Amino acid sequence: MTSALEHVGWESCLIDPRPDRALESYARRKMGIPFPSMRYFAPVPWLARALIDMHPEFGLLMHLDQSIADLLTLVVSQENSCRFCYAGVRLMLWAQGMSKARIERVEQDLARGDLAPRTAAAIAFARRQSRGGPATARGAREALRRAGFSDGEIREIAYVVGETDFSNRAHTIPAIPSRTLERMPDQIHMRLLRPLINRLLERHRFRGRATPLEGADFDPYATLVNTYAGSPIASALRRTIVEMLASPHLTRRCKLLMLAVVARGLDCRVCAPEIGEALQREGLNEPALTQALAHVDDPELDAGERLLLRFARETIWYEPGQLQRSARALRDRLSGPQFLEAIGVASLANGLCRIGAMMLDHP
Amino acid sequence: MTWTIVIGTVLALATILGGALYHQWRLNERLRTQLDAAAVDLENLQQACSRLAPAGVVQRLVTDGGEPETGTAAEHKVVTAMFVDLVGYTAMSERLEPTVLVRVLNGYYERMSDAIHEHRGQVGSFVGDGIVAYFGALQPNPWQCDDAVRAALAMRAAIREYNAELKREGLPQIAVGIGIDRGPGVAGLVGSRERRQYAFIGRAVNLAARLQALSRIHQVDILVTEAVRVQLNMGFALTPMPATPVKGLAEAVIAYAVIRERSVEREPAVG
Repeated sequence: MTSALEHVGWESCLIDPRPDRALESYARRKMGIPFPSMRYFAPVPWLARALIDMHPEFGLLMHLDQSIADLLTLVVSQENSCRFCYAGVRLMLWAQGMSKARIERVEQDLARGDLAPRTAAAIAFARRQSRGGPATARGAREALRRAGFSDGEIREIAYVVGETDFSNRAHTIPAIPSRTLERMPDQIHMRLLRPLINRLLERHRFRGRATPLEGADFDPYATLVNTYAGSPIASALRRTIVEMLASPHLTRRCKLLMLAVVARGLDCRVCAPEIGEALQREGLNEPALTQALAHVDDPELDAGERLLLRFARETIWYEPGQLQRSARALRDRLSGPQFLEAIGVASLANGLCRIGAMMLDHP
Repeated sequence: MTWTIVIGTVLALATILGGALYHQWRLNERLRTQLDAAAVDLENLQQACSRLAPAGVVQRLVTDGGEPETGTAAEHKVVTAMFVDLVGYTAMSERLEPTVLVRVLNGYYERMSDAIHEHRGQVGSFVGDGIVAYFGALQPNPWQCDDAVRAALAMRAAIREYNAELKREGLPQIAVGIGIDRGPGVAGLVGSRERRQYAFIGRAVNLAARLQALSRIHQVDILVTEAVRVQLNMGFALTPMPATPVKGLAEAVIAYAVIRERSVEREPAVG
């Protein structure tokens, strides 16, 4: 299937795949079929699980129509030039029974703006976030309301856009190979297996059900998570954040610093103070934190933290070539799991802070 | 006989109708293909324009047709402005053949633009041999002053390399003067109905231009204002210059020459 992103430059993959049977069986339980990228993320379990648990297709959306969610994922992946995720969404649509011609027609309709007003408003919101940043999208929230979306739907639109941004970065930065996915619909055995794949996916695609948010309070992103309280999205976000901070490959302080840099770059004025408080509890005093965030540098930071802060900063602007080049430079200076965790933290920070900056009313 | 005529007529009519339908179908297909191609071109153009002006401005241009009343709403922003000028351009232009001069100038523009883009800046315009660049104009950038000064240092290094190239070809060496200031202003599309560009209007642009001129008096290549200095990382080594009066300003301007950025430790201590 020809892809609009085939011209996008894609470096050779920066990480090695590692089969993990437990992870694959977890993915099979949650999604029906494990994504081909799963094995690349296996060395950092929280990241692999986040990519499964936070996927909006499988039991997270209570209000938003799934077809609009699919279009949002397609548009954001296209805007971000993530070859892997874009090929992934097209493959899902194909597996659901859409012909290649029909998928191309949907894409042309998106480009032509020949859409129902509600869909058009949702797509415009996603495009504004991708092109102009979350502050621009926040300004477009009113247009969603005018188009008839409820508050619950608007929250889910922001979630789908932010989650796709997270997933796009997690796949783009290490340049996960996309060729296999792009070629699948053209392979004879895949065409024969299509009805079976569709049935497997269908069995795992379901609407979200009201889910209470349980567990002890925690600081970073608490306001954001509470915005989704009652929805399964809140539980998925909370579990991911807690597991990410507990992961052993990078220090908790280093990860919080990376989150803080992204929050500052995206001007998420609700997330930033929460991360700042968590950092102060880690022993970083306020002047050092101010200096670190003002210049992505401070004498109190160690060389590794400086390196990772600069990398986190680079991930705020989405240019695949540049992202992959900075990641290549970083890879030689970290162990494999550290490198992968750094990619995961920066990607997640971008997703969360974008949702925060789009959805939360700033003080 | 009658039946033959009737059947012949029906067949002829059916053939004509079939032909007309086929022709219409071909026409529809061609129009659809053209429409799709135009939509894809427009989408690509819109994406390319997002690199030249903020997405919101591009979106308004597309939906409103760029009419001044609705399409160019200006935004108040704090931006870091940079003015770069080629030292000794007039003398060089008199000595070199026009084709050689254009080649040298293009090499200079390319290297300067690369340094600006690599540090999240945006070239606003080329003014003769000068370049106006903005940092933090297209998208919010809380690190805009550090970025602008790093871009200036990258320009210095690029000019050094370019001069080595020019020397090998027996061409004259070039030098630049760079002025950087930061301040509030208005960003938006300016110009006539026929020709517009995204620009930042504010005192910072004028002061950056004045500072660039001052760099020749102080015999340095990069000068920043006090407004930039207070925002800069302590890792930059700066030297204060004597206060100097400049055209259009009541008070003498205190500027700082940028010497270098102190290197940080190279080895990571992670893990």
